Amino acid sequence: MIDYFALALGHGLIAIALLRLVLRDDCDVDPLLERLKADTEENRRAASPAGRNAARRAQAGGHGEAGAGEADSGEQAAQRERAKPGAQAAQR
Amino acid sequence: MLDLVFLAFIFYVLLLGLKRPFLWVLLYVYIDILAPQRIGYSIIASLPVSLIAFAAAFGGWLLLDRKEGARFSLRQGLMLALLLYAWWTTGHADFPAEAATKWDWVWKALLFAIVLPFTLTTRLRIEALALVLLLSVATIVIGTGMKTVLGGGGYENLKFFVNDNSGIYESSTLATVAIGLIPMIWWFTRHGTLFRPHWAVTAFAAALTFACLLVPIGTEARTGLLCIAALGVLLLRYTRRRLLFIAGAGALGLAALPFLPQSYYERMATIAEPGGDESASTRVAVWQWTLDYVAEKPLGGGFDAYRGNRFAYVMPVKEVAGNTTTVQYQEVVDEGRAFHSAFFELLGEQGWPGLILWLALHGLGLWQMERIYRRWKGAEAEEEVWIAPLAAALQMGAVIYLVGALFQGIGYQPVMLMLVGLQIALHTYCLRIDSAQARHARSAERRAALDSKLGGAVAA
Repeated sequence: MIDYFALALGHGLIAIALLRLVLRDDCDVDPLLERLKADTEENRRAASPAGRNAARRAQAGGHGEAGAGEADSGEQAAQRERAKPGAQAAQR
Repeated sequence: MLDLVFLAFIFYVLLLGLKRPFLWVLLYVYIDILAPQRIGYSIIASLPVSLIAFAAAFGGWLLLDRKEGARFSLRQGLMLALLLYAWWTTGHADFPAEAATKWDWVWKALLFAIVLPFTLTTRLRIEALALVLLLSVATIVIGTGMKTVLGGGGYENLKFFVNDNSGIYESSTLATVAIGLIPMIWWFTRHGTLFRPHWAVTAFAAALTFACLLVPIGTEARTGLLCIAALGVLLLRYTRRRLLFIAGAGALGLAALPFLPQSYYERMATIAEPGGDESASTRVAVWQWTLDYVAEKPLGGGFDAYRGNRFAYVMPVKEVAGNTTTVQYQEVVDEGRAFHSAFFELLGEQGWPGLILWLALHGLGLWQMERIYRRWKGAEAEEEVWIAPLAAALQMGAVIYLVGALFQGIGYQPVMLMLVGLQIALHTYCLRIDSAQARHARSAERRAALDSKLGGAVAA
């Protein structure tokens, strides 16, 4: 009787734990490492020649059309760069 | 009926594993520890479930799993060297047939421990493995604890699910493993994410800890008592109110005394007087024999080399006739006595090279866990706060295992090798975070420098 109780309890808990595990995406991809990787990539892009040029263009544009709108930050420029098909292919 | 339930459970995990193959690794852990094929007796006993799970775990990782973050570490190298060396000594063993039998399970346990860290690449996986390992052992411990409370115990009297004195179903081994896992049980009450911190989790942990402490009492395994003492000493380090802790432990110990059976006192009394007990006095003789043996064969005699020993010693033998008890000192001849210590087991079977590899494997583990504990002690972010306590729990588990290993031949205990795999995985994971954070900091610096340069140019 005790044996059956212990076996049922142990197996029940393992079964629940495994079901919860299957439903969670952070099982295969670690959120902390992924976030660090994405942030690093983001910084790299912003500091890359393409990102730098885009930032300069944005700032120059922002200077010339003073009052026309807010100047682009380097980050936004980098995001635009990334949106280009060529950049996406390089990313892949 | 029981067989069908086991098979249904295994099938359920195999099915879930189709979505995430990592679950097959957990299935192997469960089967290796609990051995359902030996608990059941009809269909399941005839199926090679352990082999199926091993193939699924290994194949699933090799063919289907992401291998990002998998690194080969120094300690895996040490285990690989030990595996290859043991393979060589098996080929040159004193007792080839017996050595081959032991080799059959040792290579699997070592290989699994080598591969395991490759699969544990995320925090959740590390937690899941620890949880399944813990719950598998808990299943045995809960049964043992309840039987001790309800029906008394006794050395070699208490029935487990499997009663062939093998693997974890050997009373001293179970006692060591159960005590070694206590720190990890409490880690789950604070940092678990599969079962989040909750009063029910804490209540379960408290009951399970009680059951773990009952295992050495129920089975009357003397080594278990030493392990409890070791745990008490280790916990002092992590206790803020040390005096209160010592007083509390003392009071708890005293309160437990009236509930212990007389046979327990008698057996524990033999710790202090090894001369009065054959099991204890042969140990010293076997260890002496092992030292002499490796003096002749420094490369070891292969698995089960102890079978060649034979020695005579004098010990007191009690004879009771009516009301008189006579104690006579007689010469006792012993043959083929087991090593009764993992240190001498390694030394006798694998010689000095094997012992050095094994000591390096465990010594390095203790040191790495210490470094991780110190490095992450102050971390407060939810994503990092669990690391230092887990390193501490794994380190305590390893020390308790080594204390238990002083008096038992458990040098290749699969559960302990899994804990070694877990330690390696945690260490590798921390190294990956460290290097990712360093890369992140460098890129942020470059970006900040650039931003200030651009800002300066615009201002000019």
